[in-house]
Amino acid sequence: MKRFWAWAAIAFGMLYFILPLVGMTEFSLRMRRGVYSFDAYAKVLADPRFQETFSYSVMMAVFTIIFGVLLVVPTAYWVRLKLPRARPYVEFVTLLPLVIPAIVVVFGYIRLYNTSSWLPLTGSTLGTNILLMLGYATLSLPYMYRAVDTGLRTIDVTTLTEAAQSLGAGWATILGRLILPNVLVAVLSGAFVTLAIVMGEFTMAALLNRPAFGPYMQLLGANRAYEPAALAVIAFGITWACMGLIQLVARLAPKPATPVKD
Amino acid sequence: MTEAPYLSIKGISKSFGALQVVRDADIAVGRGEFVSFLGPSGCGKTTILRMVAGFETPSTGSISIDGRDITYLKPSQRNIGMVFQSYALFPNLTVADNIGFGLRVAGVNRAEIASRVEEMLALIKLPQLAERFPWQLSGGQQQRVALARALAPRPTVLLLDEPLSALDAKIRVSLREEIRAIQQDLGITTIFVTHDQEEALSMSDRVMVMNQGRIEQIGTPAEIYNHPSTSFVAGFVGTLSQLDATVTDAAQGAASVGSETIAGLPLPASVRTGDRIRLALRPESLRRDRREGDRTLSARIDSVNFLGAVIRIKLHIGDEQLSLDTFNDPTRTPPAPGDTIEVHFAPETVLALTD
Ligand SMILES: Nc1ncnc2c1ncn2[C@@H]1O[C@H](COP(=O)(O)OP(=O)(O)OP(=O)(O)O)[C@@H](O)[C@H]1O
Ligand SMILES: [Mg+2]
Repeated sequence: MKRFWAWAAIAFGMLYFILPLVGMTEFSLRMRRGVYSFDAYAKVLADPRFQETFSYSVMMAVFTIIFGVLLVVPTAYWVRLKLPRARPYVEFVTLLPLVIPAIVVVFGYIRLYNTSSWLPLTGSTLGTNILLMLGYATLSLPYMYRAVDTGLRTIDVTTLTEAAQSLGAGWATILGRLILPNVLVAVLSGAFVTLAIVMGEFTMAALLNRPAFGPYMQLLGANRAYEPAALAVIAFGITWACMGLIQLVARLAPKPATPVKD
Repeated sequence: MTEAPYLSIKGISKSFGALQVVRDADIAVGRGEFVSFLGPSGCGKTTILRMVAGFETPSTGSISIDGRDITYLKPSQRNIGMVFQSYALFPNLTVADNIGFGLRVAGVNRAEIASRVEEMLALIKLPQLAERFPWQLSGGQQQRVALARALAPRPTVLLLDEPLSALDAKIRVSLREEIRAIQQDLGITTIFVTHDQEEALSMSDRVMVMNQGRIEQIGTPAEIYNHPSTSFVAGFVGTLSQLDATVTDAAQGAASVGSETIAGLPLPASVRTGDRIRLALRPESLRRDRREGDRTLSARIDSVNFLGAVIRIKLHIGDEQLSLDTFNDPTRTPPAPGDTIEVHFAPETVLALTD
């Protein structure tokens, strides 16, 4: 009897998640009257603004990931190595983006970096792009930091660092040749989460008035019928592809250095 | 040692906050010498080693290698090889790349690295494992690779911190012989930290015994074992039976144990008649057959442990416990618990402990 209810709960959950997806996908295929077709998809993909905003967001995601890795890997490493007692505080700071709404963050940015401030980032396109990238990096910080920190937990950071130092290695060598390769899987899973966040982000891009994918989806949704559904399915597909890649990468991960039994 | 020491540790102390873990240690290690640091857990062995490696800075004192002061040099500038208890191989690199790491960091060219790696793999007898990753090796193999990695850049000094503690007993013994052979082969100055006395005694040129941050004694294994200079060393290295005794005649070296008096003991000059001292005896110094010049005590047997080649008999005299080791003689029946037997020993094998 217990089993029945367990299965019933699972079935209800599945329906709750899957039905809207099925409905949306079905709807997106109905652009041509009477038959299923990929017309809506063709239209979306052919739209120059789709290509523009999509590639803009992918570029932004790439820069955000590079910036995030350069920021988070050395920080998490240093905290584990030298400031283990500060770890709870650093972790708390990295969690802040989850409790502070993006809109608050972006208004703060605009106030701080507007054209009449000491650092007028919003005054130029490049500056605004940089600001947006910093915003994205902030949003993905909780996931990136957690992923990298978990990755670092699987290696003995202190002893490996000391071993490398006694062999003559400096900090750059230790980070680049030992730490980063050993947390690469964790970094990649953090990177895919970042990609998913950047591709779907609306608030920051809209308020900074950059041609990103999120605002485009919103715009299309407000004005068309079938295309937004197709776009949603595409966006959903991207997210799931990222999840799949995380799984794949995790499976190809190098094994920990536990000895085989003698 | 007549020539100047190669590795010289002078008056170093180390405190962590209010806790002083190394107190005024002086150690001089000769070129090519193998010195073990032996002592109970927490006595400061690793801390001294880490100061030599550069991972800790001494609170006072100095360290020099070959006349060059290295006290405040960064670890990466010291060219000291280090082997850790946990192997600490780089998990993302193959065995060959692990061994070549130090040379690569130093900017040595590829061909030279390859030939040195090959040489090192031959030295540790694992030439077939060059392309394996650390997780594909057994613990013993990993530690040998770690040794090769430490030796590849031709370090001035090799430091090993309990390198065998994580291994099975059998491999521990074979690997310690191998490490000693490699060390003698290369003639590299080595410090080996352990809390296993058998390891320290069997491998080393000299052993340094530490207790609570202080050096108790430095000497050859035989000196440490046969002539411990403090009661801590006497008790920590090997098994020792201690009997309370009263000096009855300091000039004659006579002391009484319970109701029996023993003369001709090697008492320290500072001892006066009437002093309470302790007489310490190794199990192998006691015997059941009397020899010329032996002293004799009668004791009652508490237990008999048959260990194969050796029989260890536990006895008591009054309230004092004693251990006696005797070779197993198949033609004789071993004594039984409850028997009273006579035990004999040469008076010069007795250690008189006053502290
Ligand atoms: N970084 C540190 N901060 C504070 N105390 C420390 C630190 N490192 C070591 N200690 C303390 O110093 C003392 C000596 O430690 P050390 O590691 O040198 O002992 P050890 O002789 O190597 O012992 P073991 O055989 O257990 O390895 C211990 O009481 C330890 O708690
Ligand atoms: Mg130690």
